[in-house]
Amino acid sequence: MTATSPAPATAGRVEIDARVFNPYSKDFIRNPDPVWQTLMRDYPVAWHKDLQMWIVSSHELCDRLLKDNRFTPNFRAWEFAPPPKAEADKNDFDRAFEKGFFAVSPAEHLRLRKLTMPAFSRPVMGKIDEKIRDLVTECFDAIGEAAEFDVYSALAVKIPARSIARMVGVPIDMEDFFHEFAVDVIKSTRINLPAKEREASMQATLPGFKYFRDRIAERRARPHPGDDFLGSLVGAVDASNEGDARLDDYEILSVIFALITAGSDTATDLHTYLLYALLSNPDQFALLKRKPELMENAIVECLRWGSFGKMPFFRFASEDIEFAGQTIRKGQAIGVNVQAAWHDPAKWDDPTRLDIARRLDGNIVFGAGAHFCIGTYLVRVQGRLMLTEFMRRFPDADLANGTGDLDYEWTHHNARRINRLKVRTNLKARRRAA
Amino acid sequence: MKKWICVICGHIYDEAVGMPESGIPAGTRFDSLPADWTCPECGSPKSAFEPMAE
Repeated sequence: MTATSPAPATAGRVEIDARVFNPYSKDFIRNPDPVWQTLMRDYPVAWHKDLQMWIVSSHELCDRLLKDNRFTPNFRAWEFAPPPKAEADKNDFDRAFEKGFFAVSPAEHLRLRKLTMPAFSRPVMGKIDEKIRDLVTECFDAIGEAAEFDVYSALAVKIPARSIARMVGVPIDMEDFFHEFAVDVIKSTRINLPAKEREASMQATLPGFKYFRDRIAERRARPHPGDDFLGSLVGAVDASNEGDARLDDYEILSVIFALITAGSDTATDLHTYLLYALLSNPDQFALLKRKPELMENAIVECLRWGSFGKMPFFRFASEDIEFAGQTIRKGQAIGVNVQAAWHDPAKWDDPTRLDIARRLDGNIVFGAGAHFCIGTYLVRVQGRLMLTEFMRRFPDADLANGTGDLDYEWTHHNARRINRLKVRTNLKARRRAA
Repeated sequence: MKKWICVICGHIYDEAVGMPESGIPAGTRFDSLPADWTCPECGSPKSAFEPMAE
């Protein structure tokens, strides 16, 4: 296929439009792979005239771009970003955003990562593991011995945001409040949403930021801030950095911000796609039951196989950049189409085949480079706990009616979100056989 | 022999173990890894690694 515009706006620029890649179309949401293959084969880097951004699709180029710090995730670098606010007009969202992983310089980003590392250490994570285990058990207890259940409503909606809530110390009776906060935080930064909707979501985050500022103040007032996640952030010290040795309130808020954007709404899809992948490939489900030591690999492979994203990751050019034969201008947005890259036949043999024993070296399932997913550990823990419990309780499960009566939330802003996946537990048949 | 941790993704490089599957024998000091060596998990440069406190 050739360029779709008879007179490209910029000489030599490869251009596409929604006829080539429409992430909102139902056909794409149902079956994205043909579109991804076209993009990778014919348009590995192209300007999308309807989305007004570059789309980068091959594995090799996505990997290279994610590791190139000239492409920043800082939404303020976007040519259409709202103008900076006066200092007096900034709210907690603005201040946390400015101090966050997505906004600071590479050197400052490294300092933040060093200071936050203790909060992700094994002892802290061990405690979180216990809290999430309880949550997962509660979700399965609620399913009980039902003959059939919906993965989305019984597990996927309940586990992710609540896992982060427990990680950051939100009491159980405030988990719904936290979930709303998380959704609004994510929607505030999605450039594919209208500016008014982003602004409304941003305003709606403010009570959540106030809640966490109060919690941080409480911890600072204690003789010892505590050994949990929030306490580790409040108490973190970088001995090698005399001037800026501790995290301030907005830096801590920015970590919570990052955890939410990386690990709450997106992890909803983790649970549905893990079970969809395994139950629609019964041989692989059987293999995992026989060899649970493949769990870690299986989770990453299921994510690669399902590739549930709809919109690519966003990056913004901090300067004019020649990239793979195209000129990307300062301020332009780039959609890093990692979902396509996860199915790149140049990287993966038979990419649409699920193979939980596949060697996954060099995968970019959790991104790459300086902004590698900070929620990786949490995602893997959630996935492992959920799958282990599922296999223990429902070892003979399969998809209801052969398809799980699968349905999608067609208008979801970011993901090819499965919002119905029915599973038959086959508990009665198991008992009869026993 | 020390362990080093990538502050970006948490990957641990253990000098005692090396990475034999990638041609780095056991006992290879972190300082001896090539300057352009990158974290096998996230691709970050050597400067993203810190000595790990046990």
